[in-house]
Amino acid sequence: MKKILIWLLVIVFTASLAVSWMGCKQKEEAVADSITIHWAQWAPADNLQALSDGFTEETGIDVIVEQTPWETFVQKYNVEMIAGSDAWDIIVADSQDVGNMAINGHFVELTDFVKEKGILDAFLPSAMYYYAEYPKGFERYWGVPVEGDALGWAYRKDLFEDPDNMAAFEAEYGYALDVPESWDMLKDIAEFFYDPDNEFYGVAVYGDNGYDSLAMFAEQTIRAYGGDLGNFETFEVDGYLNNEGAIAGVDYYRDLYQFVPPGFGDAFFVATNDAFISGIVPMATNYFAFLPALANPETNPFADVTGYFTCPPQVGVDGVERQSVALGGQAASVVSYISDEKKNAAFKWLEWFAEEETQAEWATMPGSFTCHEAVLNSDEFLSAAPYNPNMKESFTLFQDWWAVPQYDEMLRTFSEILGAYIISGEGTAEGALQEVTDIWTGIFEEDGYYDPDFDPNDF
Amino acid sequence: MNNNPRKKRAENMAYRSMKDTTLLRIFVLPVIILLIVMNVFPLFWSLVLSFSDYSAKKTTNWGVNPEMIGTENYSQILSDPKMWNRFITTAKFVLLSVGLQMILGFGIALLLHQVKFFGKGFLTTLLILPMTMSPVIVGIMWKLFYNPNYGMFNMLLGLGKIDWTTDPNFNLFGVVIADVWMWTPFVMLLSIAGLSAVPQYLYEAAEIDRASWWYKFSRITMPMVYPLLLVALIFRTMEAFKIFDVVMGITGRGTTAPQLLSMYLYNVGFVTWQTSYGSALGYIMLIMIIAITSIFIKYLNRAKQ
Amino acid sequence: MGEIVKKKRNIRRYFVIFIIVILTVVYMVPLLYIVNTSFKSWSDVQQVPPTFTFKPSIAAYIRIFTARVVYSSGNQPTQEEIDQMKWYERLVYEETGEKIVRMGDLPRRYLNSVVIAVASTVLTIILGTIAAYGFSRFKIRGKDDLLFFILSTRMLPPVVVIIPVFLMFRTLNMTDSHLTLILLYTAFNVSFAVWVLKGFIDEIPIEYEEAAMVDGYTRFQAFRKIVLPQATTGIAATAVFCFIFAWNEYAFALVLSRRVSQTVPAWLPYQMGVLGYDWAAAAAGTFLFLIPAMIFTIILRNHLVRGITFGAIRK
Repeated sequence: MKKILIWLLVIVFTASLAVSWMGCKQKEEAVADSITIHWAQWAPADNLQALSDGFTEETGIDVIVEQTPWETFVQKYNVEMIAGSDAWDIIVADSQDVGNMAINGHFVELTDFVKEKGILDAFLPSAMYYYAEYPKGFERYWGVPVEGDALGWAYRKDLFEDPDNMAAFEAEYGYALDVPESWDMLKDIAEFFYDPDNEFYGVAVYGDNGYDSLAMFAEQTIRAYGGDLGNFETFEVDGYLNNEGAIAGVDYYRDLYQFVPPGFGDAFFVATNDAFISGIVPMATNYFAFLPALANPETNPFADVTGYFTCPPQVGVDGVERQSVALGGQAASVVSYISDEKKNAAFKWLEWFAEEETQAEWATMPGSFTCHEAVLNSDEFLSAAPYNPNMKESFTLFQDWWAVPQYDEMLRTFSEILGAYIISGEGTAEGALQEVTDIWTGIFEEDGYYDPDFDPNDF
Repeated sequence: MNNNPRKKRAENMAYRSMKDTTLLRIFVLPVIILLIVMNVFPLFWSLVLSFSDYSAKKTTNWGVNPEMIGTENYSQILSDPKMWNRFITTAKFVLLSVGLQMILGFGIALLLHQVKFFGKGFLTTLLILPMTMSPVIVGIMWKLFYNPNYGMFNMLLGLGKIDWTTDPNFNLFGVVIADVWMWTPFVMLLSIAGLSAVPQYLYEAAEIDRASWWYKFSRITMPMVYPLLLVALIFRTMEAFKIFDVVMGITGRGTTAPQLLSMYLYNVGFVTWQTSYGSALGYIMLIMIIAITSIFIKYLNRAKQ
Repeated sequence: MGEIVKKKRNIRRYFVIFIIVILTVVYMVPLLYIVNTSFKSWSDVQQVPPTFTFKPSIAAYIRIFTARVVYSSGNQPTQEEIDQMKWYERLVYEETGEKIVRMGDLPRRYLNSVVIAVASTVLTIILGTIAAYGFSRFKIRGKDDLLFFILSTRMLPPVVVIIPVFLMFRTLNMTDSHLTLILLYTAFNVSFAVWVLKGFIDEIPIEYEEAAMVDGYTRFQAFRKIVLPQATTGIAATAVFCFIFAWNEYAFALVLSRRVSQTVPAWLPYQMGVLGYDWAAAAAGTFLFLIPAMIFTIILRNHLVRGITFGAIRK
C-alpha cells in the first residue's frame, strides 16, 4: 500500500515538472498571427472577445482578451510595463494612466495613426481628449477609445410616481417630486426617502477610497458647485480646488453621504447595485457599464420600474449653472515593447475596431459603449437600452481626473484626506481641500511643472 | 586475514570522514542556495533601494533621476504623524488576534484532551478546516457574512446594524474575528500534539499523591506543552504582523479599513509606486518582527533545556 | 461511593462532549454559510433580511465553470431556441438571462493549483529533509545563526520582496510559468520544513546510523534506510502544512502568474459579471477549492498530530 502511494507521488511529481516545463516552452513559440489584449475582468471584456471573433474571421489573426480583476488590473499592467514586458500587445488602460504610460515610453504614439485612419474625426472630440490625448491640448494621441463610460443614475419609478409620496414630498419641500433637476433636489429626495427604522435609505453612492471611486464622485460635485481639480493645461491647483465652489461641493457629498445604507464605507460599483437590487434605496449611482444589471429582469426584481437619469446640473455658489459628469472608460493602446509584426497586427485590429460597422455592433452589446459619434447618434443605439440616451448625453458633459503621471499620488492623497472628511467627518471641507491643494502644488513644484521653461510636451 | 577487519574499519572511517564534508555540503547547500537566491538577494536589493528615492514607475523622461538620499526615507516614515497610529493599530491587532487564538486554541485542545468519544476524530477534522482555506477567499466570504444588510452575522447574533467592515470603531474587530476563526485550529493542533505527548504515568503518579487539578495542570501539563505553545506563538505573531490577504478581502485598503502597516505598505508600494519608501517601511517592519520573535525564540530555547 | 464518583465523572464527560459539539457547530457556521450561499439563486443572495430557507439552485456552480454573455434585449432567444437548450444552458438563462459562451477558466486554474502545490510540496520535503538531517547530524559553524536566518526568511512581508523578485523573474522570462511559483513557494516553505523536521530527526537516536555505517553503509544509505522510515510522521505533517500554504497563496500568485499558470486564489475572489458581483458563484468556487485541501488534511490528520509533537520539542 505504501509503495503504491510513493509511486503515485513520484508520478505526480514528475508529471508536474513536465507540465511546468512545457508551460515554459510554450511561451517561446508565440505565434506572430495572434494578438493579446489586456483588459479588466468584466462583461465588456467578454463582449470584446466575442466581437473580435469577427476580426479573426476577416483576417485570420487570433485575438485573445486576457482579463484581470479591477481591484488589481491597474497594478498588474503597471508592473508589467515597468518590466518592459511584451506579454500583451494591446492594453486597454485606465484613462488616468495615459500620461504615465506616454511619458515612460510604454505606449506607442498613435497621433499619425488616428489622423490617417479618420479615427480622430469619427470619434467624439471629448472622448479623444480625455481618453487618448496627452498632454492635454497638444494634439498627441496614444489610444483609441474602446469603452466610453460615465457615472449615471438609476431610480425607482414606482416610488417616484407613487401619489402618496408625491403629495408628502410636495408638502414638505414645496415642489413636485420628479427626476432630480439639480444636485440639491437629489439631496432633498434622498432625505425624504431616508427611513432607517423601516430599513429604507435615501441613496446609494460610492464610499470606497481605496482607489478612485470616492474621488470620481467627488469631482462631479466639486465641479458642479463651481470648483475644479485644477487647470489641466497650466497645472495650477490653487484657486480651483480650494475655492468656495469646491468647498460647497465637498460639503454636499458629506451631507448626501448621511443617507446611504450602513456598511457603505467601502462601497463601489458592487455595493450600489446590490443596494438597489435588494430594494433598500430609491436611487443609486453607478458607471453605465454596470447598469445592465439593473435593466435585466432576472437580476433586478425592480427592472421594469427602473428609470435612469444623468447627473443633474447645479447652480454653483457663484450663480452659474454647471453640469458635470465623472468620466469612466478606457482606451486601447499599443505596447511599445512588442515586435514589429505584432505591432502591425495590433494596428490592424485598432483600425478594424474603429470602423463604424464594428462600433455599431459593439454598441449593441450590454455593457459596452461606443465613442463613435455617428453610432452614438443612431437610433439603433439610442433604443438598444433604456439608459443609452443618458449615456449619450453624458458623453458631451463628462470630465476626467488628472492624467499626468503623478495622478496616482494625487489620487491617493485626495482620497485619504477627503475620504476622512466625507465618510468619517474628520476635519472640515475647507481644511481638507486646502491640505490637498498644498500637497498637489508641492508635487507639481517638485517635479518642475511650474518652472518657466517647463514644456509638458518634451518627451 | 586477522588484520583485515581492523584495516577495513580504518578504511571505513577515513572513507566516511572524507565523504562526510562533501555530503554535508550536498545536504545543506541546496536549501541555502535557494534561500539566498529567492530571499536574500531581493532583500539586499530592497535594502539598497530603501536608501534612494527610486520609484519603479518614474524614468528619466521626467528629468528626475533616482539618487541615493541616505536615511531620508526612514526619517520621513518615523516622523509621519499618522505612522504612530498605524503602529498602534497593528500592535492592537497582533495582540488581540494572537492572544485570542492562543486562548481559544489551547482551551479547545484541553477540552478535547479530556474525553474520548465516538466521532471525536471527525469533529477534530471539522475544526481544522478553516485553517485550510485561502485567506483572501475567506476574507471575501466574511465580507458577505458581515454585510449589515444581507449578511447573516449580525442577524445570527442579534446585533442589529453594526458595520464590521467600514466603521472605524468596529472594523479592526471584524478582521480579528475572521482571523481568529481561521487560525485557532493551528494553535489547537499544536496544543493537542503537546498534550498528547505528556506521559500518562505522570498524571497517575500525581493522582496517587492526591494532587489538585491546578497542581497537575501547572506542574505537569504546562511545562511539557509550553514549548509547543511558544512555537505556535512565534509563527502566529510573525504572520499577524504581515497580515494582508484577509484584510484585503474584508475591508479593502481605503481609509475605512483598519490602518494596518501591511495595507499601508501595499498602498505605498503598488498604488503610488513609491518603491524605495515602501522598501524602507518594509525593513522597519522586518526589524520589528525579528526583534519580537527573537525574544520568543530565546524563551523557546530556554524552555527546551 | 464508587458509584457516585463514576456518575459524577460520566456527567462531567457528557458535559464536556456537549460543549465540544456546540463549539464545533458554532465554528462551522461561517463555512456552512458559504455552502449555503453557493446554492442560492442570484436575487436571493441580496435579500434583506437574509433567509435560511430558499429554493436551492445549482446555477452558481454552472456559472463558475463557464464564461457567459448576457442576451441583449434585442437578441433574446426564441421559444424554440429555448427548447433546444441543454439543461444547464436553460438554468443559466432562466436565472440570469445569460448565454454560455465557452468553458470558463476554473478547470485550468484548478489544474495549475494542483500542479504547483504538489510540486512545491514534494520539492520542499526533499530539500527540507536533507537539510534537516544535515543540521541535525553534522557540526556546522554558526548552526543556530543559520537556523535563525532560515526562519527569518519567513518574517518578510511579501510586499517588500515582490518587486525585486518580479524583476528577477522578468529577466529570466519566467513571469507566467509554473516553475516560478513552484520555486517561490518552496523557498518560503523550506524554512518551516527544516525547523520541524530537524526537531523530528533529532529525536531519532544517532546510534542506529553509526552502527550501520560501521557495517559499511554510506552516510546516504544510512539516511535512506534508517532515518527516513522513522521520520515519515514528521514528513507527513510538514507536507500538509506546505501543501496548504502553496494551495492557498495569493500575493505572489497575483503578480507572478497571468494566463498560463494562474492559480485559483488569484482568480477566484473577483467574479465580476456585467450583472454585478457573483457572490453565489464565488461561494461555489470557494467550496470546490476547499475540497482537496480538506481531503489531504483528513487523510493525514493522525500524522499531523503525531508529527508536530516531535517536530518542535527536543528530548
